[in-house]
Amino acid sequence: MITLGLILKEIRHRKVNFLLSLLAVVTAVALLISFFAASKASERETARLMLSMGFNVHIVSKDINTNDFLLTGLADRTMPEEYLEKLARLPKGLSVGQASQQAISYNHLLASLQKKISWRGLEVILTGLASEVCSPDSKKSPISYQIEPGNLYVGYRVAQTLGLKDGDTVEIEGKTLKVAKCLAESGSADDIRIQCNLRDAQDILKLHGQISEILAVDCLCFAPTDNPADVLRKEIGSLLPQTQVFHTRSIASARTQTRQMVGNLFAVIMPLVVIACGVSVGVLAITNVRDRQQEIGIMRALGYGSGQITSLFLGKAVVIGLLGAAVGFLVGTALAMKFGPDIFKITAKAMIKPELSLLAMSLIFTPLFVAVSSFIPAMIAVTYDPAVTLREE
Amino acid sequence: MVVLEDVEKTYHTHGGIIKALRDISLHIEKGQFIVLCGPSGSGKTTLLMTIAAMLRPSKGRVCVNQNDLYKMSIADRARFRAGNIGFIFQMFHLIPYLNVIENVTLAGGVAGRSRNTVQVRDLLRQLGLEGRVFHKPTQLSAGEKQRVAIARAMFNRPKIILADEPTGNLDPENAASVIEHLSEFHRGGGTVILATHQLQAEKFADRAIYLRDGSIERHD
Repeated sequence: MITLGLILKEIRHRKVNFLLSLLAVVTAVALLISFFAASKASERETARLMLSMGFNVHIVSKDINTNDFLLTGLADRTMPEEYLEKLARLPKGLSVGQASQQAISYNHLLASLQKKISWRGLEVILTGLASEVCSPDSKKSPISYQIEPGNLYVGYRVAQTLGLKDGDTVEIEGKTLKVAKCLAESGSADDIRIQCNLRDAQDILKLHGQISEILAVDCLCFAPTDNPADVLRKEIGSLLPQTQVFHTRSIASARTQTRQMVGNLFAVIMPLVVIACGVSVGVLAITNVRDRQQEIGIMRALGYGSGQITSLFLGKAVVIGLLGAAVGFLVGTALAMKFGPDIFKITAKAMIKPELSLLAMSLIFTPLFVAVSSFIPAMIAVTYDPAVTLREE
Repeated sequence: MVVLEDVEKTYHTHGGIIKALRDISLHIEKGQFIVLCGPSGSGKTTLLMTIAAMLRPSKGRVCVNQNDLYKMSIADRARFRAGNIGFIFQMFHLIPYLNVIENVTLAGGVAGRSRNTVQVRDLLRQLGLEGRVFHKPTQLSAGEKQRVAIARAMFNRPKIILADEPTGNLDPENAASVIEHLSEFHRGGGTVILATHQLQAEKFADRAIYLRDGSIERHD
C-alpha cells in the first residue's frame, strides 16, 4: 500500500489529532495571512494619518549665516515683514503655484524678530512676536500667545538673575516696557529670552518693517513625495525668492518611527504565532507517535525501514501543512477583507485583496514548517524498538 | 537454516542487570516445526525477536539461511525480515484503520510483492476469512483477528514463521485452528518456531525446546 494511502487512512482513523493539528496550522496561517494582507494597508494608512500631522518650516533670509542659524537657531539677517503678509494673503495658506496644483498648506504662521543683545550685563535673546496668522481654512485655535505692545515676557533665568517680577517696569535701549509675565523654567533657550510685541522689538533694534524668521506650523504636503522639504523649497522659493527654508525633521522622524513601530509590532507577533503553531503541531505529533507505537512496531516487524516510517509522519505533516495553508489563506484573507475596512478606513478597500503570491508562499512554506515541527516526533518514531513495543500488552 | 551460537541478551535496568538469554546455542533445520516452551519470563519472546532480526543480542551470533543477521545494516535486516520471516503475535497487532485485505498486504510493498487480489483472496479463503475481506479489525472476533495475522505473516511466502503465543488469547477451538494453519505451512515446507506455554502444541512439533531463566533447560 502506498504511503499516501496509509497516511490518509490514518488521518481518517485519528480525526481529533488531525483536526487539532490542522486547527493550529490554519490559525497560524490565517493570522499571518491577515497580517500580511493588512500590512500594506496599515503602512499606507499610517503614512496618510501621520501626514496630516504636518511638519514645521522655518523661513529665513537667504543671506543668513547658515551654520550660525543651525547652531544657535537665530537668524543673523532680517527680511521684510511684508513676506508674512504675502504668505498670509494667499487664500489657502501656502497655496503657491497654480490653485489646482496646490502642494503645500499650513495651519499657523508665526513671524518674529530675534536678536541676541546685552541687557543689564546679561546676554539675552530679544524676541519680538508678530500676531499669529492662521490659515483661513484652519479650524485650529492659535498656538502662540499675543503680547500687547508695551508688555514684556521675561524668561526664567533672566527674571531670576535680575530679580524681576510681574508688574515691574524695565527699560531696554531707551524703550520702557512693563514686565507682564515672568515665565516658568523651561530648560531651553526660552529661559534667557525676553519677548515683546514685534513693533516694540523693531523699535528697540531699530529694524522697522523687518523680521528675522517666519515659522510655518503644521504644514501639509499634498504632493506624492518622500521629501516634502524639496517641494517646500521649490514652492516658497518661487513666492519669496530672497528666503531659504529649513524643514524641521522631528515630525518626519516621528512619522518614520511610528511606521517602524507598527512594523516592529508585526515582527514580534508573527514569530510568536509561528512558534506557538510549531509547538502545538510538535506536541500533537508526539501524541500521535505515542498512540502509534505498536503500529510502528508491527511495521518494523514487517520490514518497514526507517525512511518509510519517517515518511509516514513527515508525509502526514505535509498533508496537514498543505491543507492548513489553503484553508488558512482563505480564512486569513476573509478576515482581513472583513475587518480591514473597519481598521484602515482610507486604504483598506484598495489595498486589502487576495494575494496569490501569499497563497503560493503559504503552500510552499507551511508544509515545510509543519514537517520541521514534526521532525523530532518522526525521529522518536524511528527509534522505537519493535522488540519492546510489540511485547507491551 | 537457523543457527544461534552462544547468544546472550542482557538488559541493564534501574533494578539491576537482567539476563534474558544465557548462552543459547541452537540449530534449527529447514522445514522443522519447533515449539519453544517455558513459563512467562523464561526468554521465549526475546529469543524469537532475536531470531526475527529485531533484537540484537548482547553476545553471540544469529544466522538465518547463512546470513549473519546482526552483521547486516538495519535497512538490510528490515529487507531480510520482509522477505524471509513472518511474525505472529499474541495480541494480533493489526493496524486498526486498515481492513483485512489491507492488513494482509501491508508487508507486500516492502518485500517487493505486488498486491495480487486473487492470491490474497485465495489465502483468506484458506483461512476462512473470505466474508471478512473489507472488515476492520474492530469488526472481527479474536479468532478471526489471529487468522488475519497468520495471513499477513504468510502473504510474503516467508521461509520461517515465528509465532509468539499466537493462541494465548483464543478459545480452544480457535487455538486449534491456528495451530492447524501453522502445521499446514509447515507441511508445505516452511519452518515454524512457536513460543507457547500450552504443552499440547508439542504434538505438532518436530522438536520442543524448554527454556527457563533465559537458558535452554532441555530439548525433546
